[in-house]
Amino acid sequence: MHTISLHVNDEPVTANVQARTSVADFLRDDLGLTGTHLGCEQGACGACTVLVDGVSVRSCLVFAAQLDGARVTTVEGLEGPDGALHPLQQAFRDCSGLQCGFCTPGFLMSAAELLDAISQPDERTIRETLSGNICRCTGYQGIVEAVQTAAAACAPPRSWSHPPTPPTTHETVD
Amino acid sequence: MKPNSFALRTPDSLEEAIGMLQEFGDDAKPLAGGQSLVPLMNFRLAQPEVLVDLSRIPVLTGVSHEESGALRVAAMTTHRALEMDASVTTSWPMLGDALPLIGHVGIRNRGTLGGSLVHADPAAELPAVCLALDARMVLQGGTGTREVPAADFFRSYFTTAVRPEEILTHVHFPPPGQRSGQAWLEIARRHGDFALVGVAATVTLDPSGVCQDVRLVVAGGGATPVMVPDVVERASGRQPQPELWNELAEHAGAALSPADDLHATANDRRRLIRVLTRRALTIVADRLDGRGA
Amino acid sequence: MIATDRDEAALVGQSIPRNEDQRLVRGRGRYLADVVVPGCLQAVFVRSSIAHGRVRSIDTAAAVALDGVVAVLTVADLPHVPLVDGVQIDGLRRTPQSALVHDHVRYVGEPVAIVVATTTAMAEDAADLVFVDCEPLQAIADVDQAMDPDAPLLFPELGSNCVYRGARDHGDAERVFAGAAHTFTKSFTSHRSAAVPMETRGCIADFDSGSGRLEVISGTQSPHLLRRKLAVCLELGEHHIRVLVPDVGGAFGQKIPASPEEVAVALASRHLGRPVRWIEDRRENLMAAPHAKEQRITLSLAMDADGTFLALKADIVGDAGAYSFNSASALIEPYVGAGLLPGVYRIRHVAAAITAVVTNKSPIAPYRGVGWTATHSVRELLIDEAARALGMDPVALRRRNMVGTDDFPYDSATGMHYDSGSYVACLDTAKELTGYEEFRRRQAALRDEGRYVGIGFSPYVEPTGWGSEGAQQSAWSFASHDTVRVEVQPSGHVLVFCGTPSQGQGHATTLAQVVADAVGVTMDGVRVIANDTDATPVSIAGTRASRVAVITGGAASRAGATLNRRLREVAAALLEADGQDVTLSGGVASVVGSPDTSVTIQQLAAAAYFDPALRSRIPEPDLVVSQFLDPKATYSNGMIAAIVEVDVETGQVHVDDLVAVEDCGTIINPAVVDGQIRGAVAQGVGAALLERMVYSDQGQPQSTSFVDYLLPSTTEVPPIRIAHHCSPSPYTVNGVKGVGESGLIATPAAVANAVADAMGPFGVVIDELPIAGGRLADAFEVDAAVTAGGQ
Repeated sequence: MHTISLHVNDEPVTANVQARTSVADFLRDDLGLTGTHLGCEQGACGACTVLVDGVSVRSCLVFAAQLDGARVTTVEGLEGPDGALHPLQQAFRDCSGLQCGFCTPGFLMSAAELLDAISQPDERTIRETLSGNICRCTGYQGIVEAVQTAAAACAPPRSWSHPPTPPTTHETVD
Repeated sequence: MKPNSFALRTPDSLEEAIGMLQEFGDDAKPLAGGQSLVPLMNFRLAQPEVLVDLSRIPVLTGVSHEESGALRVAAMTTHRALEMDASVTTSWPMLGDALPLIGHVGIRNRGTLGGSLVHADPAAELPAVCLALDARMVLQGGTGTREVPAADFFRSYFTTAVRPEEILTHVHFPPPGQRSGQAWLEIARRHGDFALVGVAATVTLDPSGVCQDVRLVVAGGGATPVMVPDVVERASGRQPQPELWNELAEHAGAALSPADDLHATANDRRRLIRVLTRRALTIVADRLDGRGA
Repeated sequence: MIATDRDEAALVGQSIPRNEDQRLVRGRGRYLADVVVPGCLQAVFVRSSIAHGRVRSIDTAAAVALDGVVAVLTVADLPHVPLVDGVQIDGLRRTPQSALVHDHVRYVGEPVAIVVATTTAMAEDAADLVFVDCEPLQAIADVDQAMDPDAPLLFPELGSNCVYRGARDHGDAERVFAGAAHTFTKSFTSHRSAAVPMETRGCIADFDSGSGRLEVISGTQSPHLLRRKLAVCLELGEHHIRVLVPDVGGAFGQKIPASPEEVAVALASRHLGRPVRWIEDRRENLMAAPHAKEQRITLSLAMDADGTFLALKADIVGDAGAYSFNSASALIEPYVGAGLLPGVYRIRHVAAAITAVVTNKSPIAPYRGVGWTATHSVRELLIDEAARALGMDPVALRRRNMVGTDDFPYDSATGMHYDSGSYVACLDTAKELTGYEEFRRRQAALRDEGRYVGIGFSPYVEPTGWGSEGAQQSAWSFASHDTVRVEVQPSGHVLVFCGTPSQGQGHATTLAQVVADAVGVTMDGVRVIANDTDATPVSIAGTRASRVAVITGGAASRAGATLNRRLREVAAALLEADGQDVTLSGGVASVVGSPDTSVTIQQLAAAAYFDPALRSRIPEPDLVVSQFLDPKATYSNGMIAAIVEVDVETGQVHVDDLVAVEDCGTIINPAVVDGQIRGAVAQGVGAALLERMVYSDQGQPQSTSFVDYLLPSTTEVPPIRIAHHCSPSPYTVNGVKGVGESGLIATPAAVANAVADAMGPFGVVIDELPIAGGRLADAFEVDAAVTAGGQ
């Protein structure tokens, strides 16, 4: 077992994890953050994408035990404290950027990283950046339009991470 | 698709990491970015008993430029960090060409130069690029440090010169020469897939403007990245013109023996080697002329 | 048509944002793996690693001894009735399938044992330790091997690997061919692909030994069908089984059949008396979940001298995989495909020979567009080849042979009654949107520069809805009626109960739109419940066959209309007006001409449920309505056009432009319809260029990861431009037609025709899908060599 302390969606978390537990399984099974979905467990579909220290990673390809001290943002951390949808979440809804919703959290996290780096990406940049996320329902057009729409709605981009708070042990998960 | 049980060790220093590799021997495997190893573990095609996570060793991350103009990249530097570093991609445009084609952003955020080289997938971009750029791999083991030129580093499919107790710590890229140009070009079935074929090309002209050195390295053309043989001999002293590029392209296509797989036949690959060689050399020539990016 | 007064504020026809998205974009959907069941164990299957063999022994000792392992079960531990398809077609032979292998292994990935442990990782550890000793038999990897008289038999009791051989003949094709001015023939292979939903299959089974009841949570498209299959296999009454459906991450047909794994998990739960969950992993999904669309077809077209299509002859062989799979059988591809051979064209003579064989590969099951993708593709490719051979314009050739606007209703040669449509109009619109004439000029100019672009057209007609009559017109046995129950609650809110869950199509929104309009209430007061067989009326078919908008939606609309009438009667009583003079809309009932005299839906419901005074005037103010619907057949239509550029030196195909012109009659929610089209078209791009399940000649699947089975991504699917025509069905409620599948029926041919058009100078014939880029480059190379040789 490895004891890790980290921030997940700005909440401090301390947990004991097995070496072989992926970040995805840790988020889902130990923290109940089931918005992060497993679509392939080989890093190819992007459904499990989360942000670790502000950059997108495939949470199926990182072990939870590697996360000590990290700041993790999942889809559950995108909305505002008042429950208001993040501009990307709103735009995905407005632009038919989802159907079954299974790939959506991964797309949202990849797009969030993109808009943080480039406030007004062109369509080609959006498509290349999101090419590692697979959607089987939409044909992608609604997703691309959603990112464009959100970019227009939130320039400069709205931040989804907040100043760090010191970790305190308030939760132990085996 | 969960990996088998293993012990995870997280050393803080290179010495500690090497000590762990010595201690556990064949049961241990260094973990770099994990973007190739962890999928294999999830499929249970790799079942290491001990993983030595290199991500907390400070000296293994970062890029430095030496006075000579050479580039020294620590092995755990991510693809993304290199891709976003204009000091790298401007002077080594081949890296600038290749890095954005490695997987996808989420992979490049985590995947590392060293991890890719030690994994040594013959279709991967960076092994071929390192070979073409005459990179030297710096390996550290229990008995000290040694340097292995890229030409001696890649031994076979997924096999390198790294000994079980060694860690690839840095990669050294010599400075790009005067009157020298370079490019990487590949074809993959989809954006971000492993290349069916990738070609790295460098051309150096002598002061009179004729070819002094031409190098061609092919990914997807064999069990390792392959340096096309007898290229300098054919090119030396020749005008950097389409006729030469066509000739070298035919030569490259004939010289290699690629394999069949699901995505392309050996014949397809030979053709792609030919076509991409010509196109890559054309890009290099344009760059030497100050045309094209 | 709908019985309520339609007003300007009608919800049907509007792109209402979807109800379900509020949860899904927050990551608060609840898919199968997210469901928390206390004490739930995790199951992992031990699967056959060989394609064909006889099981000698299964050694589970080492696995059972492992920490965390609760049980390792084989068929010997779990006796049950095998799965069998329910299709009633003369001559179709049955291939019963045990949930776990008895002694004869028939495909790589076939479940042999089920390991149950406290965690998935532990179960996987144990599965690695189960040793299955098999005597290998020669693997049958393709249809030719299967039909070899000396081939080993997958089902020795049948005496043959052929499970169906028959013919569908309409008119006198032989005679017409003999006298035709032109005939063209092509051989074509539609390779094996798969639906590949982003959420894999899976289920949770919880058998309560106290009550003898089984509860199953599954991502099934057809909860009542799954219940029925489980009832048979486990020998339980259907009333003792409850199937619940959580959020589902896509299905596209793959989740229609009851899977052997679901049966095994239910059996394991009953055996252990504990809840058991199975979440399929991606490798299993690619290897062992049903595959689709594998057909080999030879098609001939007879034409008269002026280009009029006269007759089609087809020889269709379907590779069914290892079983004629439950629910749809081996005939889902070749037999269904044959029915649509004439497509949108006036072709009066059609003869099809149909064969279905079993092979040692994963079974074939429905995937969006079922058998039609293959037969449609070969027909449209052949038409382009004929046009090229005769020097005719392929668009003009199609136009002159299409069923015309004035021809509806039109009875096709194969017995389909096309109710209404806009075939010619869709063609003209696609021509206009692609700038066809201008494109031809551009194409010629680019060729001079050594660039090769091409355009392809693919007009389609799709049987949708599938009531009994539609099934009959497709010569297919299929119970496709629905019952929907709509209830106004005492609060005035409306619940819609139906047996057709959503896998992403947005039923919670579209059915609510339909019902809100029909009842005369606002949408936020309507909730759709489609996920619980204990609560909903029976829908044997469930969600498939582009049927929910037509049949579930139609029944819901009618039920809503009945409620509207009853609520207006209540309103009339409360307002002391004549029922004829009361309208109900937007949740307010008012008297015509005096809008201030009104009463709200909340007041109406409260009165109906609680007001004794009302009872004296309306003795049975029942606000629960159950509506059965078995509509007549209806056919949607449209056109897909594609523009591609081929890099002739490398064979790489880039899809530059895709246009979809569609006509699904009355549209309930345009954004949802457009989403269905774009999604299906994207899958069509995959089918044309990327997606192929490859097997070795030993029957080993080669495409078992996302490195080898390639799905189209953002960079392969261009923006898809959509235009609509509207030919409401004269037969269905509101004139609605189905829309889900045509993109995948027609897009592969559009792309392939565009590729063949681009490669026109090099005489390329597309004879397989997906297209192998290397073969395009081969053709260019041969041509270049010939040209060079000739100089």
